Amino acid sequence: MTETTIALVGNPNVGKSTVFNRLTGLRQKAGNYPGVTVEKKTGNFSHGHARYRVIDLPGAYGIHPSSLDEEVVYEVLADPANPNHPELVVVVGEPFNLKRAILLYQQIREMGLAAIFVVNMMDEAERAGLSIDAHKLEKVLGTKVILTDARSGKGIEALKTSLQHRPGDHEPVFSIPDEYSDAAQQVKELLGLKNDYMAWLHLSQRRNNHLAEKEAAAIAAIQRKNKINPHRLQIQETLARHTKLNGQLTHIIKDPAKKREHVTERLDKLLIHPVWGYVVFFVLLLLIFQAIYTWSGPFMDAIDNAFAWLSASASEQLPAGPLNGLLTDGIIAGIGGIVIFIPQIAILFIFISLMEESGYMSRVVYLMDRWLRPFGLSGKSAVPLMSGAACAIPAVMSARTIENDKERLITILVTPFMTCSARLPIYIIIIGLVIPQEQVIGLDLQGLVLFGMYILGIAAALGSAWVLKQLMKTNYKSFLILEMPTYKYPVVRNVALNVWDKTMGFVLGAGKIILAISIILWVLGTFGIGEQFTNAEAIVRAQNPGITEEVLENEVQSQKLEYSFLGTLGRFIEPAIEPLGYDWKMGIGLISSFAAREVFVSTMATVYSLGSTDDELTIRERMAAEINPTTGRPAYNFASGISLLLFYAFAMQCMSTIAIVRKETNSWKWTFIQLAFMTGFAYLAALLAYQLLK
Amino acid sequence: MTPPLSICFLRKGESAVITGYRSHEVPIKVYEMGLLPGVVLTMKQRLPFNGPICIYIKDNPNAIALRTAEADLILIESLP
Repeated sequence: MTETTIALVGNPNVGKSTVFNRLTGLRQKAGNYPGVTVEKKTGNFSHGHARYRVIDLPGAYGIHPSSLDEEVVYEVLADPANPNHPELVVVVGEPFNLKRAILLYQQIREMGLAAIFVVNMMDEAERAGLSIDAHKLEKVLGTKVILTDARSGKGIEALKTSLQHRPGDHEPVFSIPDEYSDAAQQVKELLGLKNDYMAWLHLSQRRNNHLAEKEAAAIAAIQRKNKINPHRLQIQETLARHTKLNGQLTHIIKDPAKKREHVTERLDKLLIHPVWGYVVFFVLLLLIFQAIYTWSGPFMDAIDNAFAWLSASASEQLPAGPLNGLLTDGIIAGIGGIVIFIPQIAILFIFISLMEESGYMSRVVYLMDRWLRPFGLSGKSAVPLMSGAACAIPAVMSARTIENDKERLITILVTPFMTCSARLPIYIIIIGLVIPQEQVIGLDLQGLVLFGMYILGIAAALGSAWVLKQLMKTNYKSFLILEMPTYKYPVVRNVALNVWDKTMGFVLGAGKIILAISIILWVLGTFGIGEQFTNAEAIVRAQNPGITEEVLENEVQSQKLEYSFLGTLGRFIEPAIEPLGYDWKMGIGLISSFAAREVFVSTMATVYSLGSTDDELTIRERMAAEINPTTGRPAYNFASGISLLLFYAFAMQCMSTIAIVRKETNSWKWTFIQLAFMTGFAYLAALLAYQLLK
Repeated sequence: MTPPLSICFLRKGESAVITGYRSHEVPIKVYEMGLLPGVVLTMKQRLPFNGPICIYIKDNPNAIALRTAEADLILIESLP
């Protein structure tokens, strides 16, 4: 049985995702569109005898794209060769902004696509006393119209049944102005299009990315020859459509327009108040971070205990030695080190999706715009920066709603400075080792230092944004036009699905890297070539005559590690990291951290257990006992600890983030500049700190 | 001649009708959001230090936020 591909298209804030979740339930998956990381959600379901594949396209106000999100909508719909090109489009609108949705619907129909029309959020309309005559609307649109309330599920069955409907031919509402008909005809012939409107669309785009280079260049030439300003064509079309619609809709929407003091207006009196709005926002931020730390506590303890038990029993079952160390300290501890962050990440994403679902997030954008603008950012950058406190990967992806290229690029480049949860295990363990457990003016000093690290991350992000703003030029004007929808109770189902997606993405991504790194480290640390490695025992005996068997075994192990492939690598970079206060073993931790920061602790565990036969100590005890062979002082002292904290605060040490930045910016140049800038800055900061403090 | 009034000149609580635009370079989003000639709107709030403004289109419960730079492109005629 064949599947029918349908696409959900609609303006933002019309409850499109709720419709999608209603249609597909849990049978959905998130992925990316080829070439860009704009999140793609697809799902499957059957109704009657038919099977459907649904694609939830990003929200768009019209077919003419002004952000990366909207570009995806245009490309999927305009290009029949696109793998996601649908057989039927479901256009979703809401009662109070019906005109916008109809405009989008007409554009889609005139592109030659079949479409049906959904008016969602009918419950809100009813409460406001607004009514819509679906039959008259069907006549105007020439297709099936379904009234739904996706939050309660009303109308969803009717929608499913209507997916079999294929409307008849659509009479174009917009006719191409005479002065452009020649140019449109040329585009039509050039691309072999059947449809006038498609020719017009190609003509009114600044870039035609989905076309081959030669064709795109030919269209650009036609635009130049006819002195066409794509932007004006778009405006002309939008105005013409609106004018026509005004007359048609008067009998369809019955709005008593009685004075309604909406709950939203009353809430906004406080929430976007020039003073109280900010107070509420910062109290909320404090509350979120407080919740992340206190609520996650019991879960994290439980996970910690479970993995400690797992590690201990695995250690008992297996014979002692390096393989045991790989499994227990490397892999199990490493995976545990990731799983333990699930509670924190999940809690943060719960708050973020509650803020998005309720409509509060757009108020944050509104409030923050003025304060982020001096740094070359937009109010919309607030969302990626906040998400960056959980994980830079989804945060970088969420920058896609920023229309201005420069603001978007700066946001992507500075977001990895925000203190992500992968930095936490390193911060916590290092702070625990080098910062004394004291009270300063009634506050816990270790906690204060941790808080300071968060502030440092924000300062680094804003500071480098400001520097980038001075250096970069832009052709596009920056603007902010933002809809602030009415407040709504969040749909639990939407929040749950979102949190699940984001958390699992993080865990699976990081888990794979940890597993791979642990194995690579173990292999490199267990094998080696050269006299010093193969003949380790004889050399140790010769150097320490009269050594006891027990001490000998330990010495041999550490001699072997030092001359293994891993040790050779570590000693090779030692001259570069010695001024920062690190020994070669820490150097190995640093190298492996470039795959992902969170592997530092598990790497150190593997390295230290490879170098000894003692499996009793915990990672922390082992780190505390470690002596730097060059300085003769503890490897983790105050100076080297602070230096390490600074290095991890600033360095770009996450392969997944590098990969996502490469995809999102579509530029190796910027990816490399970001990597070099962050890591170079980290090196300098760590160097300065160690040299001043040692 | 006095310069034409734009949304920027509205005080909190004042209403106006859109008459046109100051330039051709108005972002397409302005049109798509429905800020079109003939539309009646009310200034809801302004943020301090030249921050963005918040307006309501008549009979639409959703608010629209604009920076003053964009708001100044949209010309209006005051309503009593």
